Amino acid sequence: MNRTIIININSIVFHIEEDAYEALRSYMIDIKRHFGNREGSKEILEDIENRIAEMFNERIESGRKEVINMLDVQEVIGRMGRVSDFEGEEDIEEKEHEYYSAEKPLGSTFETGKKLMRDSEDKILGGVCSGLGHYFGMEARWIRLLVILFVLIGGSGVLVYIVLWMVMPEAATRADRMSMRGEVPNLQNFKKSFDEEGGSFADKLSGAGEHLSRGAKSAGGMLGGCLSLIGKLIAWCILLVTGLSIVGFVIFYVFNMMNLFGLENPIVFPPLEVLGREDAVVALTFGFLALLIPFVAFFLLLVRILFKTEKLNNYASLTMFAVWIVSVVGVIYYCIYANQDFREKSTINVQKDIATEDIYVFTENDIRTLDANDKDAPKSKFYNRFEGQDLRNYMRSDIAINFASLDSLTQPYIQYSYSAKGKTYQLAAERAGNIKYSAIQEGKKILFPSHFILEGSPLSRDQQVRVTVFLPKGAKVVLNNEIRSKTWSVNYGNCLNNYGEGVEPNYTEWIMTDKGLICAVEAPSVKEKEEAEEKKGEGNIESEVRVGEGIVVETTIN
Amino acid sequence: MIAENTQTQMRKGILDYCILSIISRGEIYASDIISELKEAQLLVVEGTLYPLLNRLKNNGLLSYNWQESTGGPPRKYYQITDMGREVLARLDVTWRELVFAVETSLKGKK
Repeated sequence: MNRTIIININSIVFHIEEDAYEALRSYMIDIKRHFGNREGSKEILEDIENRIAEMFNERIESGRKEVINMLDVQEVIGRMGRVSDFEGEEDIEEKEHEYYSAEKPLGSTFETGKKLMRDSEDKILGGVCSGLGHYFGMEARWIRLLVILFVLIGGSGVLVYIVLWMVMPEAATRADRMSMRGEVPNLQNFKKSFDEEGGSFADKLSGAGEHLSRGAKSAGGMLGGCLSLIGKLIAWCILLVTGLSIVGFVIFYVFNMMNLFGLENPIVFPPLEVLGREDAVVALTFGFLALLIPFVAFFLLLVRILFKTEKLNNYASLTMFAVWIVSVVGVIYYCIYANQDFREKSTINVQKDIATEDIYVFTENDIRTLDANDKDAPKSKFYNRFEGQDLRNYMRSDIAINFASLDSLTQPYIQYSYSAKGKTYQLAAERAGNIKYSAIQEGKKILFPSHFILEGSPLSRDQQVRVTVFLPKGAKVVLNNEIRSKTWSVNYGNCLNNYGEGVEPNYTEWIMTDKGLICAVEAPSVKEKEEAEEKKGEGNIESEVRVGEGIVVETTIN
Repeated sequence: MIAENTQTQMRKGILDYCILSIISRGEIYASDIISELKEAQLLVVEGTLYPLLNRLKNNGLLSYNWQESTGGPPRKYYQITDMGREVLARLDVTWRELVFAVETSLKGKK
């Protein structure tokens, strides 16, 4: 059973089968193109049409055969002759005239006589890639791969694609499509084209194979074959990497989501802390999609290339593209939004006196360690709760401790500078005010907590604590090693080295002078070094002696 | 390519002469011209004939009139004009000259 089409040639009506009609139409288009700009072309075409109508008429026998089929068209065309048959019979001038004046879309005819047009029948977006593929004799997949690479590298591919989309005409008719593929639009090729398009999926595959072999031929036979093999290997590698990346993204996303919903785990993405929880959930999702979709698209494309599976339907790919655009916009929005909240900085200074002592011992109070005996004792390394609150959200350790000198006999004090950022100065000041941090003095001992705690909304807004300890000149100071990481403008390492090789005290001794804190222990002399090497075995006793000496030195200065 | 060009030109000149000769015998339909040319092994496909007829007509060597046909579309019957006859007479002379020239040349070759 075949569909028939009714056509009218010179006022005579014919029923013609669909494929036969397509063949005839294509033939007539060729003829028109061939005689196109010639003087009297209209009359010639009329003569030819008339004759075709007459020949059809001869073939129709009322009641027995009323429909023109492919065979009839083929025979008629055989008698009438193809465009290629005409060419030999015309003189050279005319031929040249025909060559240069024939209408050519975009005027771009490659050596093969192919036309650069968009292939609307093999398209993902606009058919630009498949059009380029036909033009350069490559499979569209490889062009798409290149375009996606260019999109991923700096996004230049997007612009190129859009420009080509606008510039390249669409191959709307079958004859267009054949000239796009560089096939001479004659009956054989036409029939092939029709079979390819009308045929089953398997036919399409063989058609793709034909394209590939044609591409390989034009690339130079063997070389093309080699290239496609290497290309396949590379594609496999990229497929693997892309697949692993996708798995990585998903894991990263799921675990970060778990973090946001209170299931702590080690996969933390610090930039998320600048957003509140609800915002972070949305921003994380946007970021995830913005990254994931290009990879998934790339992955699917590679799968298509390697396994020759059917492409995603346009609806699905358009949806994916739309979601991607929304996600990218979302990510940009959150970046700007978060950035705004860092515009203003506010600092609050607080002074607190400390009791005068002849020696001050500064040490760190690790509030996480104290927590260990609490009912919220850490269940794991990453599980930190303090008074029922998640410490990771409430605790910051951006603390720096400075030392400065005062005149002797003045009351020593500690100055705390709390600073934070916000969209407005008020907000920044409010956040700075929410920082809770203060040292505790226990006689000679001054304890600095390891972290400060944020009250209220625990958004990370560059909260900092800068501590300056003002001590009278001549004050003796002992710094415990735990506090080393917080000390600022103090050459802790050098002082530690002064204790000599093989000695590792867990504190250093200092003295306050005009120039700030200086190490109370002088660098060991060469002789002492030698002695130290001799007595290496008795390192412990040695260090004790040295500590004693250190204090003596201090006393002398005092 | 050079040979092809020469062949095309030779064939083209002869085609015009033959077509004029065929039509000079009386009114004739295009497909009948074709069958004669096919017999003479000059032309194979009909499509080539129409541009030739069109050109000869435009040059004023041929004219045609429409005639009804049984059960088909009306047909164009071609006939030679006076000018066509003049041209044909001159071509006859030229043809005889050509035959003589070619034969002489070929004899000389042998």
